[in-house]
Amino acid sequence: MSVRVIDVRESVMARNNEIAATVRQRVEAEGVLALNLVSSPGAGKTTLLERTLDALGDEMAIAVVTGDVQTQNDADRIARHTSALVQAVVTGGACHLDARQVDRALEAIDLADTDLLVIENVGNLVCPAAWDLGEHAKIVLFSVTEGEDKPLKYPRMFRESRCAVMTKIDLLPHLSFDLARATGAMREVNPELEIFLTSATTGDGMDAWLGYLRREVARASSPHGALRG
Amino acid sequence: MHEMSVALEVCRIAEARLAHEKLDRLVGVGVVVGDQAGIEPTNLQFCLDTLLAQPPFRGATVKIERCVGDSLRVDYLEVDE
Repeated sequence: MSVRVIDVRESVMARNNEIAATVRQRVEAEGVLALNLVSSPGAGKTTLLERTLDALGDEMAIAVVTGDVQTQNDADRIARHTSALVQAVVTGGACHLDARQVDRALEAIDLADTDLLVIENVGNLVCPAAWDLGEHAKIVLFSVTEGEDKPLKYPRMFRESRCAVMTKIDLLPHLSFDLARATGAMREVNPELEIFLTSATTGDGMDAWLGYLRREVARASSPHGALRG
Repeated sequence: MHEMSVALEVCRIAEARLAHEKLDRLVGVGVVVGDQAGIEPTNLQFCLDTLLAQPPFRGATVKIERCVGDSLRVDYLEVDE
């Protein structure tokens, strides 16, 4: 037996990243802003999306792709708040969405008639950080019922995200959650992170979040294109 | 948590390279896994050992090398000529 070593040096993510690049080209060609919502399970991604659709549904066309390990419950919830198509991806056990799944989901979505594409990823602060889906930005949600040190425990997710939406702030009076410590931890991991403090229940802070979306959707549809990162 | 899908992609890369080189006997695979790659090395080793025991690989061995950062790549293949 004669053994030869073949130098490969190929990224395991290369194929996913190629597909993600084609997704990004497709959405950019239509001037669509694509956001990837990530968080731990239960941080409030679906609820934030419901309130966002209620508030912006009349002024922009929003398409949604939801990822869940099992059930299409989130897609069913969101569909009650929009007439646009909501595409459910059931990963069947996988802990994240990948670019191929998003690429397939887009086949049913009319991007020419879409201003904002929101991908609601599987609730998981680890794996989705590693998978480019062709989005313009990851938005990480962080609820005040979690530990203040989550950004330090899961730094890659906070480092990869463009914005952090703190959720459930109406619960702060009932918790010992240290908001300053939490925001400090986020800034320690990612000094550029834009932070929104929100409550989907009371509506506090939602105007700033919605304003951000309006700005970025306008920018994506302009000749200069969308944000990156 | 996604070690099996990563292992499947490692196998796809190996199979494509073997076909490209017109070889059919894989002896070993070297994989580099960064400490920030989100991959548990022993879990990946288990998944690759399982997949590489199946055709068309016929029991190739896996060597996982750790590094700092988020690298995750197939570094080399050992093939029998």
